[in-house]
Amino acid sequence: MSGHDSKYFSTTKKGEIPELKEELNSQYKDKRKDAVKKVIAAMTVGKDVSSLFTDVVNCMQTENLELKKLVYLYLINYAKSQPDLAILAVNTFVKDSQDPNPLIRALAVRTMGCIRVDKITEYLCDPLQRCLKDDDPYVRKTAAICVAKLYDINAELVEDRGFLDSLKDLISDNNPMVVANAVAALAEIQENSARPIFEITSATLQKLLTALNECTEWGQVFILDALSRYKAADAREAENIVERVTPRLQHANCAVVLSAVKMILQQMELITSTDIVRNLCKKMAPPLVTLLSAEPEIQYVALRNINLIVQKRPTILAHEIKVFFCKYNDPIYVKMEKLEIMIKLASDRNIDQVLLEFKEYATEVDVDFVRKAVRAIGRCAIKLERAAERCISVLLELIKIKVNYVVQEAIIVIKDIFRRYPNTYESIIATLCESLDTLDEPEAKASMIWIIGEYAERIDNADELLESFLESFPEEPPQVQLQLLTATVKLFLKKPTEGPQQMIQAVLNNATVETDNPDLRDRAYIYWRLLSTDPEAAKDVVLAEKPVITDDSNQLDSSLLDELLANIATLSSVYHKPPESFVTRLKTVSQRAEEDDYPEGSESGYPESPAHPVDGAASPSSSSGSRHPATSPPVAAAPAPVPDLLGDLIGLDNSNSLVPVDQPAPAGPPLPVLLPAAKGQGLQISAELTRSDGQVFYSMLFENNTQSVLDGFMIQFNKNTFGLAATGPLQVPPLHPGTSARTLLPMVLFQNVAPGAPNTLLQVAVKNNQQPVWYFSDKISLHVLFTEDGRMERATFLETWKSLPDSNEVLREFPGLVIKSMESTLDKLAASNMFFIAKRKNANQEVLYLSAKIPRGIPFLIELTAAVGVPGVKCAIKTPSPEMAPLFFEALEHFLQS
Amino acid sequence: MISQFFVLSQRGDNIVFRDYRGDVQKGSTEIFFRKVKFWKEDGEEEAPPVFNVDGVNYFHVKIVGLLFVATTRANVSPSLIMELLQRISRVTKDYLGILSEESLRRNFVLVYELLDEVIDFGYVQTTSTEVLKSYIFNEPIVVDAARVPALGPASLFMQGNKRMPGTAVTKSVVANEPGGRKREEIFVDIIEKISVTFSSSGYILTSEIDGTIQMKSYLTGNPEIKLALNEDVTIGRGGSSAYGYGSSVGSGAVILDDCNFHESVHLDNFDLDRTLSLVPSDGEFSVMNYRMTQEFKPPFRVTALIEEAGALKAEVIIKIRAEFPSSATANTILVQMPLPSYTSRVSFDVEPGAVGQLADFKEANKRLEWSLKKIVGGAEHTLRAKLTFSQETHGNLTKEAGPVSMNFTIPMYNASRLQVKYLQIAKKSKTYNPYRWVRYVTQANSYVARM
Repeated sequence: MSGHDSKYFSTTKKGEIPELKEELNSQYKDKRKDAVKKVIAAMTVGKDVSSLFTDVVNCMQTENLELKKLVYLYLINYAKSQPDLAILAVNTFVKDSQDPNPLIRALAVRTMGCIRVDKITEYLCDPLQRCLKDDDPYVRKTAAICVAKLYDINAELVEDRGFLDSLKDLISDNNPMVVANAVAALAEIQENSARPIFEITSATLQKLLTALNECTEWGQVFILDALSRYKAADAREAENIVERVTPRLQHANCAVVLSAVKMILQQMELITSTDIVRNLCKKMAPPLVTLLSAEPEIQYVALRNINLIVQKRPTILAHEIKVFFCKYNDPIYVKMEKLEIMIKLASDRNIDQVLLEFKEYATEVDVDFVRKAVRAIGRCAIKLERAAERCISVLLELIKIKVNYVVQEAIIVIKDIFRRYPNTYESIIATLCESLDTLDEPEAKASMIWIIGEYAERIDNADELLESFLESFPEEPPQVQLQLLTATVKLFLKKPTEGPQQMIQAVLNNATVETDNPDLRDRAYIYWRLLSTDPEAAKDVVLAEKPVITDDSNQLDSSLLDELLANIATLSSVYHKPPESFVTRLKTVSQRAEEDDYPEGSESGYPESPAHPVDGAASPSSSSGSRHPATSPPVAAAPAPVPDLLGDLIGLDNSNSLVPVDQPAPAGPPLPVLLPAAKGQGLQISAELTRSDGQVFYSMLFENNTQSVLDGFMIQFNKNTFGLAATGPLQVPPLHPGTSARTLLPMVLFQNVAPGAPNTLLQVAVKNNQQPVWYFSDKISLHVLFTEDGRMERATFLETWKSLPDSNEVLREFPGLVIKSMESTLDKLAASNMFFIAKRKNANQEVLYLSAKIPRGIPFLIELTAAVGVPGVKCAIKTPSPEMAPLFFEALEHFLQS
Repeated sequence: MISQFFVLSQRGDNIVFRDYRGDVQKGSTEIFFRKVKFWKEDGEEEAPPVFNVDGVNYFHVKIVGLLFVATTRANVSPSLIMELLQRISRVTKDYLGILSEESLRRNFVLVYELLDEVIDFGYVQTTSTEVLKSYIFNEPIVVDAARVPALGPASLFMQGNKRMPGTAVTKSVVANEPGGRKREEIFVDIIEKISVTFSSSGYILTSEIDGTIQMKSYLTGNPEIKLALNEDVTIGRGGSSAYGYGSSVGSGAVILDDCNFHESVHLDNFDLDRTLSLVPSDGEFSVMNYRMTQEFKPPFRVTALIEEAGALKAEVIIKIRAEFPSSATANTILVQMPLPSYTSRVSFDVEPGAVGQLADFKEANKRLEWSLKKIVGGAEHTLRAKLTFSQETHGNLTKEAGPVSMNFTIPMYNASRLQVKYLQIAKKSKTYNPYRWVRYVTQANSYVARM
């Protein structure tokens, strides 16, 4: 090979596609190979080179493996959009699957399994059958995975053709790679099936334990994870298993170690001998600690798992607390996890050492870490009664540094300490009061106010202190208002003198009349009535003894903990959530079908998501906002046929390639109604322009509310600014009364351009055999025209911005628009090919820079100014075609509103 | 299993993208990048390496400034994915010689070929460079090493701009040398990262060595290799003395807390004479990782002092003493110390005699930085700094400044005293005498002196 691959990215003067086409058909092998590389290069940067399908497939019959692999890579990418043409490749595949070279056989079966085209799937069965019994282990291990691929496409076929049995046979294969892949494939199939398919008997267990020793590290993980489902019959069997697995703890691969730990922990439950258990704990400690020497990302995973393990078996690492001390160069996410574990391991024996560390962390630079360290001291105080006093003295020391956020955090934890040990440490209240006026965080303020109210009788000037807060009562956040209300009531009950009396009236008035917070109002009314009917009863209620709080450092309840422990070494153990709360694994088939049928659905997938604010990282909410609930029924047989987008461009028979899907369309978002049934004599048409995979479509829904069948639908577009026109005839089946049909009409640009000033008008005419011609108009929203290659480098952006004259800058303000979250807005914009370049802060406003491009290479340079949550968005754009600006703003406004 | 694998540049550009299962939408790279870039959750500013957005789990590791990312919808083993991402980077580096945006882009065909062999339908098949060799047909285009800053362990052996002999570690394991013939050589690097925390009074609070024996073989024919360590190496601290160190101090024995080995290593004789035998596979890999908390002599003593010197003024004195033999030299030393947030000005008083020394006050994050090019074993250097404050101190300077942290690299020195006594290569013929490089290097991991 000569030169650099990067040359394949360079553009040519002549049209790129024709030139490539010519080269692909060259008589010279090298030239053809180079051409395929160029095609792949174009493909990887997102250019559409699907029109070269036939030419590339022609290069497939070659002995050259390098070239063959490239062609296969291309095939996997485009077969879906060219199902009819993909058939052309089948013969070569079938031939290749019988090639004398095992690499070619494996390659063929591997690739065929990745081509998710129904017609090909049928041809896959025979070669797969053969390859599962191939002499070469490389072919067999590839075939094993291929069964899982096939199951994902067509589960029934796999069961009918007996592939599951062949797969189970492979568990006894003499090659460990094959065994590992068979196990992985079976485990996946089992996960997606309700029937028992892959059950681990004690015979399989023995086989797999033997294979374990010879497997690659990855195979070991597959096997260990599969075996972790096995329930040993008795303590003896459990001991045996553990004995076979323990050597894996010495492995350099962290995944192997953690999976082995999981296995051992699980079997330990059955082991009755305390000696053995103790011994196992001792054996597990060093490898667990060693995980903390790995890369920080692995450390994080390990720490999240260790957090669970020490909750269940604190003895394992009881003596290792030192290894959890934070290193100054640990990433913050590692430090936070280490703190959590230090609290869990803190004991009367090591508390002095631990406090010394916490004190040190509390003076570091990173504010979040400092806060957490201060809180950790408080949690230790609550957890360890005998150490509480030492913890408090450390907190007091920290308060004296007078670093604002340290003080506030300390006050929050001291409130908890007071609740844990009532009437023990009140002597420090005076010190706390010194910091009163520096408090500006709601939680800290609320905590301080609680303390004042609770100990009002011991604080001489409690009324003055509270009064100072009352001035700003209406402006305080609800949390503080509630505490002020309660504290004032307590003060009044404890010191029913004139001052407090006036205060209580002011507060009750404020909290009932002046507020619109129902919690506050309700609480105020309760107090009010209590105080006015029976002050003694009020005392009993408000000043009642509070239940003592306990240590919350083992916050997981035991059933959740057990579930999570069973899921050690899975994502579950990192998120500390049960799998069902975040696994939204979908049958690929159903998703595919959905995507293909309703591209507008997947388009608006992003804009939709802000409605479910993006789930917390590492904390997927249980009401996961996934668009694809795990329960969505898999489409049984096969993926729905895919519209053949380019069929008629190449002039092939596409009579059935564009198949409308006449199933009701609850999945897609509703389309705007353009021709209401009332106007269309019972025919209702809803439609919208959408963009999917770089192509503009007209997504249409026809609903027949007439009494007769409607057929022979045709469509015509009037001249418009962008010359949008249909690429082919409208494909709508005869519509029976009461039915509807959805269709996707691929559109081209610049076919029949209307002269004059740009506008968004799109006039459409639709006719059928039964009714007169219907006319309606639609709007061209510019955002469907934004192309995928609209991203600009920062430097280019700056340059372009400077190079355009100021007269090309257009400014528009949208006073009514509110940006609720920068992030989801950016997501939305990106989903419509408006690409984020940079942002800066200007006072309280965010200034975003984005770029977009419409066909014919017209760029838009966008500057958005807004403050999150505050109405008013300013947008300035610069573009070589400023006459397009109104269209752009219209699209943007619509976009930000939705 | 994973659904997608991709590599993004720091700017978020897509360098490599491979979809294995088609169950995660294409926009995942955008979603991922934005999430990581603007992370703000649970009061943390840095995204954890694993997170979930709308049912898709994103894993990422940062390697040489690139983001290696995997996505999945399933409840997979996170450590497997993290390991996998690391290994993919290692295999790619083995092939390309250098891992960088440029080398990835230039070799995209090869990279995709690798990715197809490494992962099938989201399941890892192999990450062994050796095994992969029989399936990979593209040849790498080697990016000129001189233009790219060397990364990874190899760069530790750079002495300024001069390279140490045989730092061809940036060469590809499969590409041929310009001359056509490959040089027969093998590198064994003992790399130790040490963490030490000194108390304000100079005592050692914690100390730890994370070591690894890294091997990179360019030997043809895969001969067997024997690696002998000191015979007094013992593993396991015996009993569980929670604090303090084993009683072995002074006895000279090297006591490792724990260690693990690459799967190709045979330990048949390890218990007997501390030799490891293995047939090294191609590419770079860790023969052995070890961890030690046994007391050792820290290479540097660091003491730092901050004292008030009149109103709105204070003085800082940082002293570092190199306590390793004068035959070794530490390089790229950087000492950092956070100063009180109200520090407005700092003037330095650097002593003459130190090589390439530079002291600076980083206004933006209120940090003092003192860098030295070189420190010879046995030498001692002191930095004096006069601080001017913009407000009264709270009388608690030591809590508002520090701790002092230190970065350094010391080639040809290791603190644990673990040694490779000999490296034996099974001879193919009498004339077969490949180059063997056994190199030691010690690096600071978390080297901190508290105030």
